[in-house]
Amino acid sequence: MGASLPPKEANLFKLIVKSYETKQYKKGLKAADAILKKFPDHGETLSMKGLTLNCMDRKSEAYELVRLGLKNDLKSHVCWHVYGLLYRSDREYREAIKCYRNALKIDPDNIEILRDLSLLQAQMRDLTGFVETRQQLLTLKPNHRMNWIGFAVAHHLNSNGAKAIEILEAYEGTLEDDYPPENERCEHGEMLLYKISLLEECGFIERAYEELRKKEFKIVDKLTLKEQLVSLFVKLNHLEEGEKLYRALLSMNPDNYRYYEGLQKCVGLFSEDGLYSPDEIDQLDALYKSIGQEYHWSSAVKRIPLDFLQGEKFREAADNYIRPLLTKGVPSLFSDLSPLYDHPCKADILEQLILELEHSVRTTGGYPGRGKKKSPRQHLCGLCFYWLRDFMLVQHYDRRGLYDTALTKIDEAMEHTPTVIDLYSVKGRILKHAGDLEAAAALADEARCMDLADRYINSECVKRMLQADQVALAEKTAVLFTKDGDQHNNLHDMQCMWYELASGESYFRQGDLGRALKKFLAVEKHYADITEDQFDFHSYCLRKMTLRAYVEMLKFQDRLHSHVYFRKAASGAIRCYIKLYDSPSKSAAEEEDEMSRLPPSQKKKMRQKQRKAEARAKKEAEGKNEETSASGVSKSGKRHVKPVDPDPHGEKLLQVEDPLLEATKYLKLLQKNSPDSLETHLLSFEVNMRKQKILLAFQAVKQLLRLDAENPDSHRCLIRFFHKVSSMAAPVTDTDKLISSVLEAERPSFSQLHGKSLIETNISFLEKHKDSLIHRAAAAEMLFVLKPDKKAEAIKLIEDSNNILVSTSEAIVPVRKWRLKDCIAVHKLLGTVLVDCDAASRWKLRCAEYFPCSTYFEGRSSSAFSKSSEHHISRNSENGGANYTADENAGSLASNGKLEAFQNLAI
Amino acid sequence: MGASRGISISLDGVRDKNVMQLKKLNTALFPVRYNDKYYADALASGEFTKLILGFWFYELGNGGLRIEPCLSLDYDINCSLGVLWILGLCFYVLRSYYSDICVGSIACRLEKKECGAVRVYIMTLGVLAPYRGLGIGTKLLNHVLDLCSKQNIAEIYLHVQTNNEDAINFYKKFGFEITDTIQNYYTNITPPDCYVLTKYIGQPQSKK
Repeated sequence: MGASLPPKEANLFKLIVKSYETKQYKKGLKAADAILKKFPDHGETLSMKGLTLNCMDRKSEAYELVRLGLKNDLKSHVCWHVYGLLYRSDREYREAIKCYRNALKIDPDNIEILRDLSLLQAQMRDLTGFVETRQQLLTLKPNHRMNWIGFAVAHHLNSNGAKAIEILEAYEGTLEDDYPPENERCEHGEMLLYKISLLEECGFIERAYEELRKKEFKIVDKLTLKEQLVSLFVKLNHLEEGEKLYRALLSMNPDNYRYYEGLQKCVGLFSEDGLYSPDEIDQLDALYKSIGQEYHWSSAVKRIPLDFLQGEKFREAADNYIRPLLTKGVPSLFSDLSPLYDHPCKADILEQLILELEHSVRTTGGYPGRGKKKSPRQHLCGLCFYWLRDFMLVQHYDRRGLYDTALTKIDEAMEHTPTVIDLYSVKGRILKHAGDLEAAAALADEARCMDLADRYINSECVKRMLQADQVALAEKTAVLFTKDGDQHNNLHDMQCMWYELASGESYFRQGDLGRALKKFLAVEKHYADITEDQFDFHSYCLRKMTLRAYVEMLKFQDRLHSHVYFRKAASGAIRCYIKLYDSPSKSAAEEEDEMSRLPPSQKKKMRQKQRKAEARAKKEAEGKNEETSASGVSKSGKRHVKPVDPDPHGEKLLQVEDPLLEATKYLKLLQKNSPDSLETHLLSFEVNMRKQKILLAFQAVKQLLRLDAENPDSHRCLIRFFHKVSSMAAPVTDTDKLISSVLEAERPSFSQLHGKSLIETNISFLEKHKDSLIHRAAAAEMLFVLKPDKKAEAIKLIEDSNNILVSTSEAIVPVRKWRLKDCIAVHKLLGTVLVDCDAASRWKLRCAEYFPCSTYFEGRSSSAFSKSSEHHISRNSENGGANYTADENAGSLASNGKLEAFQNLAI
Repeated sequence: MGASRGISISLDGVRDKNVMQLKKLNTALFPVRYNDKYYADALASGEFTKLILGFWFYELGNGGLRIEPCLSLDYDINCSLGVLWILGLCFYVLRSYYSDICVGSIACRLEKKECGAVRVYIMTLGVLAPYRGLGIGTKLLNHVLDLCSKQNIAEIYLHVQTNNEDAINFYKKFGFEITDTIQNYYTNITPPDCYVLTKYIGQPQSKK
């Protein structure tokens, strides 16, 4: 380095490098300038100066200097290395890899560059390259532990586990017998565990077992050791030993569900789907009872049997499970039991059980079957969990869809103890389910006001507000819990994705595509950041030897984009782009055109409105500017000022040339990472139909039918696709001919279409699902698509649907089958696709009966129906205020009176 | 007190974060709706005078009741405002509940008499119906009486509707006595007259 310089300058150059490493950038810059004074063209110095400037936030200068340096000295590995570092600092890993490779061509044995390169290759999952680089590092420095391990991990990642094991064994061969020394026992133990898990992964179970037994005393993490051992026992079919070990593990932690599952496997009582024969259930019951006697404090041992028990036994177990938790007042009790509602018979039993408990507590103040004597304590408990039991019952009714009953019950509970915050949140949730989003938001806000220091309640309120499309209010509420001054941006910095998704959805519903896109893309950005975050671990984990965790983390990162939040964000963005494509924002000329068509009087009005809106917007912007400048002054002490978002409303995002191209970008990610989600292929169908990519759309149809052929959306896509194909002009070009021949060949593979016309297919689909509203709606829509003249028939198909009452046993109030969201979808179908206002309003009236709380259908109990009630309340409070001095004591005595009466009783 | 076994009762002051709970209580308890100023005053004066209401925790031993005042009251009695509020929320807690339920409250204010002496006026005292008979009202009142004697406040008084015998008896147990009758005190309820109940602290109590 710096070899071409005279001694004095060479020393200065060393100083630059040292200053860079110790982050004394100013010093480095001075030295660089000193050299450049004498040798203005010295490439390596120019490069180093650039690198130093890069760390001082002078990016553009940095790139210029580094490129200039490289031009002056193309043969220098230093220049290439620096160029690579520069790219790496900007996360341009592919470019950085290229630079490193060039540097290595000049200096193939440079350890530092090799190591940097290997990190990049691991990050980019260039696995063959990673193996090569690691091999080279090991050949160069075989006495380094990290190089052995790195080489092994590289092979493992490159799916060559056997080779990785060989390397680890070779590495162990280089160690002394008394290895490891005291201070490295943990690291060595981790390495051994990694090796054993590798052996297991590669299917060498016997070898893994032997290895484990041989090295047992060297492994520090005894718990993992036991868990590893027991997994090997099961795989080797040593079930008796496995059972013993699982029991030992349970004695350490009797609440670990995986141990129970393992134990069940060992004693031969395990099925994936949770279904057992009566005989097996008896055995399982006995097993759990015996364990339960040993570990009476474990809740897992009491909860798990509820999953497999049936009938009377379930009833008994559930009763025993619920009572103590109810007495204790565990608020999450219902969430805990909620999964059981998926079994209809269990839901019925639970309902009976809860009703019985309620009745008994209401009448006797204690649980049923406990004799008539009631201790004061029982009496108290009765009082105290009065609300909680109601709470439980309420959630029960909510879950079963009996919103009216749930609301009556919760109002009772609120009257009883109006200060329980959870009651308000739960009532909000019920109203949301019942379809009154506005009222739900108002209740959530009431709950929030009762404890302003509770972030959870605050967040729940924000969510409800967003569901009710009150975005501005939600933003204000959310900001209450962010850091002062940082305001809204803070939510983005905290990667608060639920918020961004919910507000994106809300903007989308309101048609504000720019803002919606902004939110969805922000979430997508978070995932890019998470991918980025793994970079530091490539060197750290190899050094610290946390290999199992490291490999697991890499595997997690590989399927990161299949996470449900990413799926939501990506599909949201795609929907935005589709909508943008369908109705592009109007250009100024078009608007002018529209204006000219209006009569003059209206034109004037419009102009005025526009002007007013503009003035308002301007005023707001000014206000905001003042705010930011004011806060800028107060924070001037801080060095780092956050850049202002240049596009706060996402307007620039809307100005994409080809929305479908953008959509395709995210679609590809979805197809790669969430191939088993219906939505992925629905979106793919929509996008590709618009792009006229027939074969890709065809692929989407095939995938949809593979996933769920009976789904109404799948049916829609199938019919629409073949309808479109049949209406296409005869193929002219070669590609068209090719496409049609492919379709010809593939068509027989659809069982739905065998020897039938599309109409017939549609009819047989309808016949198959004639009791289901959503299927009928899909069939009707397709009928209309195929034969637009049969519109009346299509509408009749929908209107003839019956809302069946479903009841599973006599004791229970029957529930109607239609779901609110399906009915709304049908209403939209009637209004926008079939375009029949009369039918739509008939449908609306009918649904208002079924869903009295729904604001969409303007049901009679919804907030849309009775807006006037708010006025009443505000008037009342004014009245109260007027005469409060005189009245304030009236209340105190009223309550004191009753209190006194009770006290007499107690004495 | 047998009835208190297994429960504990704690007292907390009113802050801006939980003032809504007081509103809910008052709405449930009293036939009167207080306007926002009532609550704003309660908060503002509380903060202004740095009034910290002691947080009491009643720990339950084996049958015994131990009372531990964690903080003592510390305020400037000669403050220029002349009016102080003591507001308490009573939380009723069953052991192992994750969240406490607020079930009662007491609100008082300090008044300066012309002679310069200070007295306490009890504005509201109330406990939600299902939680009565547990001694919560007694605790709230005792708390205030205790504070008065610590601060050497000699007089404490309140208004009671003349027909509310239960309340009158309740207060008499604590040594309150009828000292005056005001005609037509109330506007919206009958009878409109009220008694003034007063207790002089530091003097021998006639009834126990």
